[in-house]
Amino acid sequence: MPVRDTTEFSRTMLRFRFNLLVLAVALLSAPVLSDLVLTRVDRRVDLTSQIVRIASTLKIENTGKDSVSEVLLVFPERQAKNLAYLTAVSSAGKGKAKASAVNLPVENVNSEGMPPALVAYQVSLPEGGLGKGESFTFDVSAVFSHSLQPFPEKITQADTQLLVFEESAYFFSPYAVKVQSLTVKLPHPRVESYTKLENTKIQGSEIKYGPYEDLAPFSYSPIVVHFESNQPFVVARELVREIEVSHWGNVQVTENYNLVHGGSQIKGEFSRLDYQARPHIRGASAVRNLVAKLPPRAHSVYYRDAIGNISTSHLWGDSRKTELEIEPRYPMFGGWRTAFTIGYGLPLQDFLFESEGKRLLNISFGSPINEIIIDTLIVKVVLPEGSRDISVSAPFPVKQWQETKVSHLDVIGRPVIALEKSKVVPEHDQYFQVYYKFNSISMLREPMMLISGIFLLFVACIVYVHADLSISKSSASYLAKLQWEEVQSVIQQVNNLINRCLMVHDKLDASLRDLSRTGDVQACKAARKHADGLLKELSKELKPLLSILQTSPQAAQILPKVEELVVRERELQDKLMVKHTTVVDCYEKKVSGREIENRIASQQNKITALRQEVDDLLDFIDEL
Amino acid sequence: MEAQKAITSPVPISWYPTLAVLMLAVGLVITASFFIYEATSSRRSRSLAKELFTGAVASIFLGFGSLFLLLSCGVYV
Repeated sequence: MPVRDTTEFSRTMLRFRFNLLVLAVALLSAPVLSDLVLTRVDRRVDLTSQIVRIASTLKIENTGKDSVSEVLLVFPERQAKNLAYLTAVSSAGKGKAKASAVNLPVENVNSEGMPPALVAYQVSLPEGGLGKGESFTFDVSAVFSHSLQPFPEKITQADTQLLVFEESAYFFSPYAVKVQSLTVKLPHPRVESYTKLENTKIQGSEIKYGPYEDLAPFSYSPIVVHFESNQPFVVARELVREIEVSHWGNVQVTENYNLVHGGSQIKGEFSRLDYQARPHIRGASAVRNLVAKLPPRAHSVYYRDAIGNISTSHLWGDSRKTELEIEPRYPMFGGWRTAFTIGYGLPLQDFLFESEGKRLLNISFGSPINEIIIDTLIVKVVLPEGSRDISVSAPFPVKQWQETKVSHLDVIGRPVIALEKSKVVPEHDQYFQVYYKFNSISMLREPMMLISGIFLLFVACIVYVHADLSISKSSASYLAKLQWEEVQSVIQQVNNLINRCLMVHDKLDASLRDLSRTGDVQACKAARKHADGLLKELSKELKPLLSILQTSPQAAQILPKVEELVVRERELQDKLMVKHTTVVDCYEKKVSGREIENRIASQQNKITALRQEVDDLLDFIDEL
Repeated sequence: MEAQKAITSPVPISWYPTLAVLMLAVGLVITASFFIYEATSSRRSRSLAKELFTGAVASIFLGFGSLFLLLSCGVYV
């Protein structure tokens, strides 16, 4: 290590010592607490990632007379401000019975009489407490963020990252400790330096302190470990997770990351060439990629930032998980930042449930990215429009508020419940529940919006077609247009009447066919009578229409055609009647089928020709 | 926890594309007939009730059709 670095290092140590001095002064005023004695303490510190995890097994014994129901865990304030997660689990029974582990409630207490430089947490023992002479074993897991200090603080691209970790070799506790040990697990066997006390051993990548025996309350012996670690220091300054529930079958998760590499800052210049050539030597401390472990059956996964899609990502999955590996646009060195968004859809039935008349969303709180520290995590749950009576149940305290979000096809906006938590570590990736009430009829809001929108378009068309938009109501062209429209409508009616006449003709023909099949003359006559009545009525209706056309000047051009049509139709009608009479007569006289055919053959030809003519005229008039 | 029942979409997700195509096709045919009627009938012979009815039926089909189209595209409303 260069000389300058060493002096810097000793300065850090000095600062550290000074902290201890303050602490020691504070300790003098601390009261002696209860009659509990820790008979055995084993601590294991895991430094293999950027997150410091201290797992301790405590065996506690009550040497006093009264039963005790709480145990205090004490942290110096310097440590406590980075404490992200703390749990205590009773290991009921020994060894194999650990399956029946029970979570013990832990709460922050600002015990009066505690000096301000200490932060105390109170662990409540299982029911009944600890009687005289009894002992109890439990595990404490404490997770710290930002507890590893990079040292030196600035390195070049080619340097490896060195970190400093400070702890006490003795378990810091308000109780006397009989036997204790500490194990520090490092990512590499390469250690720059570590504090050597009595009973210190280093084995590979593990440093062991202890066992130490019979130490007084608040014993403190600082140790500093300076070691090499190229673990990615991925810190999210802020992460906003938006979970949008759609009852049409999807839970959409969108995560906006604002990342920074929280390790040793890079100094000097960055050479992409060196990095590409030997990435593990020239850029060992850089964050190359991130792995997000998404829930199974995640679909429609995307990864983008402000300027669009980032194409370097890989996705694979099986029935238990979906893994997304993403690479930022550039390798992230110390102090560098990046911001991006990932999003994915999840099947509704995996996360939304119904119980006791309420719906409940059961989804994980934290980020899916591995080993990430999140300074501020905001989780927003966007519920469908029409949800009410919203409540949240989270496994740890969070700040919460409500807002609304206006999204696709909304009228009043969707209710959003926002949860905020600072200092989030992977241990916080637990399920939380959002309960709400929802009436299924409200699901029809979106289709109703679409339907009413499209219906309005139709209504607009109808109004446009019906509206009279001309400005001058008395101009000649306007009047001519009105008259022409009247003529058109009359012609339309004439056409309809003629068409009805033709239908009557067809019926007569059909009655003749029936006659030839069944020989029922009476039925045929009845049909004839009926048809005569109808035709008479139709011709009566036709008369006023024709007179209108004759008086209208606009109809002058079309009139001859219409009149011709009427005349031809009349002719056709007459011929048809003659044919009908002939056939019926023949049937009455029992003339043979062949004879009938001969007699009407000439008539039939004329009828066909006339029919063709009428049809042509109809088509011609229709096309006006 | 036993009382919990998973909530699924009212229509299976895999039907969305088919439903979208079918309902949009029917809706567009009805729309076409609506406009043909508007264009061919003269002002006097038009029936407002018939126009409104055709428009309403067409908009129901087009509305649900476009909803399913959005859903099958991944825009979960």
